[in-house]
Amino acid sequence: MWKTILRRVLLMIPQVIILSVLIFLLAKMMPGDPFAGLINPNQDPKVIETLREAAGLNDPWYEQYFRWIGNASQGDFGQSFMFKLPVATLIAGRVGNTIALALVSVIITYLIAIPFGLLAGRYQNSWFDKMVIVYNFFSFAVPLFIFALIMLFAFGYRLDWFPTSGTVTVGLDKGSLPYYFDKFKHLILPGLTQALLGTAVTIQYLRSEVIDVKNMDFVRTARSKGVPTNKIFNRHIFRNASLPIASQLGYEITALIAGSVVIEKIFAFPGVGKLFIDSIIQRDYSVINALVLILGLATLIGTLISDIVMSIVDPRIRIQ
Amino acid sequence: MTEKTKDTITLQESIPPMGFRMIAREFVKEKMAIFSLVVLAIILLSVFIGSFFIDQSQVMHVSILDKYAEPGTVTVDGNQFLLGADEGGRDIFGQLIIGARNSILIGFAITIITSVIGVGLGIISGYYGGLIDNIIMRIVDFIMILPIMLIIIVFVSVIREYNIWAFIWIMSAFYWVAKARLFRSKTLSEARRDYVSASKTMGSSDFKIMFREIMPNLSSLIITNLTINFAANIGIETTLTFLGFGLPQSVPSLGTLIGYASSGDVLVNRQWVWLPASILILVLMLSINYVGQALKRSADARQRLG
Amino acid sequence: MTKIIQIKDLKVHYPIRSGFFNRVTDHVLAVDGVDFTIEQGKTYGLVGESGSGKSTTGKAIIGLEKITSGQIIYQGKDVTKASSRKAIKYNKDVQMIFQDSMSSLNPKKRVLDIIAEPIRNFERLSDQEEKQKVKGLLDIVGMPEDALYKYPHEFSGGQRQRLGVARAVATNPKLIIADEPVSALDLSVQAQVLNFMKNIQQEYGLSYLFISHDLGVVKHMCDNIAVMYKGRFVEIGTRNDIYNDPRHIYTKRLLSAIPKIDVANREGHKAHRRIVEQEYREHYHKFYDETGRVYDLRTITETHQVALKKGDAE
Repeated sequence: MWKTILRRVLLMIPQVIILSVLIFLLAKMMPGDPFAGLINPNQDPKVIETLREAAGLNDPWYEQYFRWIGNASQGDFGQSFMFKLPVATLIAGRVGNTIALALVSVIITYLIAIPFGLLAGRYQNSWFDKMVIVYNFFSFAVPLFIFALIMLFAFGYRLDWFPTSGTVTVGLDKGSLPYYFDKFKHLILPGLTQALLGTAVTIQYLRSEVIDVKNMDFVRTARSKGVPTNKIFNRHIFRNASLPIASQLGYEITALIAGSVVIEKIFAFPGVGKLFIDSIIQRDYSVINALVLILGLATLIGTLISDIVMSIVDPRIRIQ
Repeated sequence: MTEKTKDTITLQESIPPMGFRMIAREFVKEKMAIFSLVVLAIILLSVFIGSFFIDQSQVMHVSILDKYAEPGTVTVDGNQFLLGADEGGRDIFGQLIIGARNSILIGFAITIITSVIGVGLGIISGYYGGLIDNIIMRIVDFIMILPIMLIIIVFVSVIREYNIWAFIWIMSAFYWVAKARLFRSKTLSEARRDYVSASKTMGSSDFKIMFREIMPNLSSLIITNLTINFAANIGIETTLTFLGFGLPQSVPSLGTLIGYASSGDVLVNRQWVWLPASILILVLMLSINYVGQALKRSADARQRLG
Repeated sequence: MTKIIQIKDLKVHYPIRSGFFNRVTDHVLAVDGVDFTIEQGKTYGLVGESGSGKSTTGKAIIGLEKITSGQIIYQGKDVTKASSRKAIKYNKDVQMIFQDSMSSLNPKKRVLDIIAEPIRNFERLSDQEEKQKVKGLLDIVGMPEDALYKYPHEFSGGQRQRLGVARAVATNPKLIIADEPVSALDLSVQAQVLNFMKNIQQEYGLSYLFISHDLGVVKHMCDNIAVMYKGRFVEIGTRNDIYNDPRHIYTKRLLSAIPKIDVANREGHKAHRRIVEQEYREHYHKFYDETGRVYDLRTITETHQVALKKGDAE
């Protein structure tokens, strides 16, 4: 087992390297550079050139790349031209928001998905199951951005139950209880929106797992021996079905990242997703590079963790 | 010693197991599925026929005087705005029809391209195994790990001459991987069956075996996968356009219409701009998805038959 | 008697990989040094339990398994390499019948296409001629003409197996390798298929390599028999040699295990089996070396060879 884990980690290294090179080259290919919009167009082009030279933009790409990587591993991702801040600081300020949102989203997702999936499987063909199937279908089919818009429109504006943008209302004392409540309130709508659609795969998986196991011989045997139904389900079936969810972690992260871009835009939530979009529009290389690298790494690590967890909790080696 | 039975007189047409006809038969038994199919057909027909009659340049022609005209009002030129106008005075209804046509065509193109690549590479990978399989799977693994949406957004910003085809190719370049993986594993299990060995001993070429022998046995999977994929691709395209990284702004599309809702004002006060497009996408995707799920169910039920 | 095919010292070894770098640490010796010759018009039987390597041998001969070492001489040429097989159109002359009739016929193809497949690969016939030929083949295996446009799932196991036979005979092969062709069929149907196979052999003058674990069936079908154990031959001989004068303890054991329906002499058979078992245990060391490996074959008579320790020709 450790062998597979070690091999997996070793495999990751070339992946990370290729990823970073790819990103770097991509960013370089973008038309226009940070100086294009910054400088007074009336300036002598020679001055702009010297500035470019000084910023190292004319060096061969591999030199620029190694410079970038060298700095990055020390935490220096360069300067953001948009905000005139070090990129690291910029991202650090936003990443907390996105992580908070992601956490809320994931918690709600599993709070809904696990009971719904398991119970729907157990009480197959009941009205509850039928409802879950319909809900599941919708959560697969409806695109996130449309759902988010409707949620925002209905609950944010029309019904005015939740705030419609930002992370916190202005004017509250930082650190006070109302402050945290308010922050939480701002997280609910976007988090709920993402969660409601994110349950799709998990519910489907759990439900079908429970149904499959339910029909297996050993369940019938246990029943005929007089073991109460609840015990069968709770002890054996549910637990065994739930473990492999951990293996979904890698793909969860990918979905969360892609989702955050959309959600943060719609809910005007200042997180990493919104920063990404803004930096692309502004052609702020340093930010783009850093973001894609970090997010790519996050996905890689997430997949790695889920693979490791999967090999540990391999359902074939169930401990009774 | 030939056994002549009564069946030779009544020529009964043999149904291929799990073939398209079999699936179709199961499909028609579900009322909801037929309903979705009909709805889908209506939308497709009206969109395509409608787009013939609408002049794109006229629709996208900016007319400031008609800014945010409400549905039912008349333009300066004397035409009626069936669904009102957007910020630039452009007819919403026209944009809706043409935009829908664009999204459908793009989704279709991407689905076809990714299917050809994904199924092809998947079968090749699963059949040959060994080095070829290793290489292809390494590439697949690598792409699956990337945050695809982010990379697509970056790509979209990078391309100099950006048009619809560039978009289609960029999307296709990344989304074939999931298909390849799926069909590889199916091919692996099929290739183990004796009829493949038999074909090899019969002297059939590898190419023939892969695509004349194995692929037909994957046909039910291909069909259902295609359908559900179609819906997903439309969803991704509209999402990207909504964010501003899909179709160029000058091309009418459902995504841009909905994109206007980013402004709170439009969201709350001028629903005619974004709501029709949203509803259309919803109905489109729901019906395609339902048809796809129904196909999946019909294919599965029959799979028990030896 | 003309020799059709000659197998010399055939070995098929599968590498076992382990360790961190997936190095090859050991080998599974599926087939480990096998020699025999098949003559025209005769049936050669290959008998053994599961895992003895008999199927692997068959597959190696027809080209489905990669050969580690050894030679297969056909028409004077060594056909161990795929390229040499292709060059002489080997598979036109050497065909195979598979054990599982359901999975050996492509469920999505009609019978006409299934049987015509080898014809299309090796011969140039018009559609009409092809159809005629397939009809003829169906006739030979006793299948009705309307089977042409049906799918495999519409037939019973025995019928499908007959279709498999028809397909194997399609290109007028000289050798057919039958890999447990009747093992998956009901006893009553077995006889039918076997009889068809025999008829075809007489009509076409072809040879069979008949692979089976069922000694009863083998007795009915085969002229020469080889008994296999863990990838090696323990005894080779004519039908008479093997059934009436078995020398190797393994052969004796296999023979005693054939179920006999003879209620009156039930006790006698049981006692006989016990004797054979005892003999097996007592004489084990004489027939197997320290690692459990079978010895090389020693010639006893012109037709009979047994695996014995050197100098032990009893």
